[in-house]
Amino acid sequence: MSEHPDIRDLVGPYVMGTLEPHEERDVEDHLQECASCRQEAQELRLAHERLAGLAYSIETPPPDLKERVVAGIQRHEARRLPSWVAAIAAAFCILAVLAVILTPDLFGGRALASANLNPTDRAPDAGGEVSIQGTGENMEMHLEAWGLPPCKREQYYELWLVEGKDRVSAGSFTVGQSGRVDVKLNAPNFAGSYPKVGITAEHDKDPRASDTKMLSGELHQS
Amino acid sequence: MDRVEDEVLVRRVASGDERALAGLYDRYAGLVYGTGIRYLGDRETAEELVQDVFTSVWKNAAGFDPERASFATWVYRITRNRATDLIRRRKARIRTVDGEPLFESGETDPSGELSRNFDVAAALSRLSPVHREMLVLAYFHGLSQREISERTATPLGTVKSRTTAALRALRETLGFDEDRWFADE
Repeated sequence: MSEHPDIRDLVGPYVMGTLEPHEERDVEDHLQECASCRQEAQELRLAHERLAGLAYSIETPPPDLKERVVAGIQRHEARRLPSWVAAIAAAFCILAVLAVILTPDLFGGRALASANLNPTDRAPDAGGEVSIQGTGENMEMHLEAWGLPPCKREQYYELWLVEGKDRVSAGSFTVGQSGRVDVKLNAPNFAGSYPKVGITAEHDKDPRASDTKMLSGELHQS
Repeated sequence: MDRVEDEVLVRRVASGDERALAGLYDRYAGLVYGTGIRYLGDRETAEELVQDVFTSVWKNAAGFDPERASFATWVYRITRNRATDLIRRRKARIRTVDGEPLFESGETDPSGELSRNFDVAAALSRLSPVHREMLVLAYFHGLSQREISERTATPLGTVKSRTTAALRALRETLGFDEDRWFADE
């Protein structure tokens, strides 16, 4: 092939169909006689067809699409925590769990005050326990009681913090056929300072405690 | 960025280099977008495809293994999978009252044409800048040999010989997969 370098240089534009007519005739005449150049023309035609196919398939994206793609990955990165931040966060989680286990007072895990609930004549088989947990505005009362008569229609029970004749509601609940209840109620932050608790049966909208006492007990500071 | 191979750019993307991603975008976004228009039918969904594909490249670059496949093959697979997802999503949205899809088309690349296009794009990116310029101006800008000569201030004879050499180089670059190249003719 080295004996006809000029013609061989034209094979590319020839397969692309971009030669002048006289050049095209020259190449075709040569290809009639040269098997190696015919072979190369065949291979370059294949490359040409692939490139033409690619050119046909490509579309120019909107100019701002590249910016949107980059902005998208920047948003993605902003949401993704660096590994060292994630490691520190994980360490804090472990410390927090250990702190809850080892220092329950700080996290409300141990009762500030508690009471055993004793039955009255209206529910002689009933009993229960109340404990007050938490700190500041996050105080709650955990009530567990049993043996209470099931509530009738529009009837409910109410848990009270009691001091002398003062009554402060700690929340209401109902009891089904089991007569049992296990509930956590939000409590005022001074709940632990009351000396007694009681449960009454209620059936109207009067905010005051009824006289129907079901359970009562003395609160003991822990 | 022009001379850097795709696989090098992916490594840079994996280390968080946005410019490297922009480089890969410049090489492949047109093909992904064109694929979207062709297979998904509208420009809005095609743009969604481009965003999905390059976001996926960004997120998964660290997992790219050049020993297993070229970047072009990898991005081709991502494009095909994302396009298929978009077609499925659209099929789920567009249904007739009796629950049958409105259209059944949506096979991405049944003829292998899409795969071949990504191979050619990858081969093109591996050519020398001089050779790539000849082919890009001719095929993607639609310039004649004379116009290329004027645009690049290069003698016409040189443009012709460079074009031949560029096609030859492209053929050789693609020749790594010669059996498949001819087998699917």
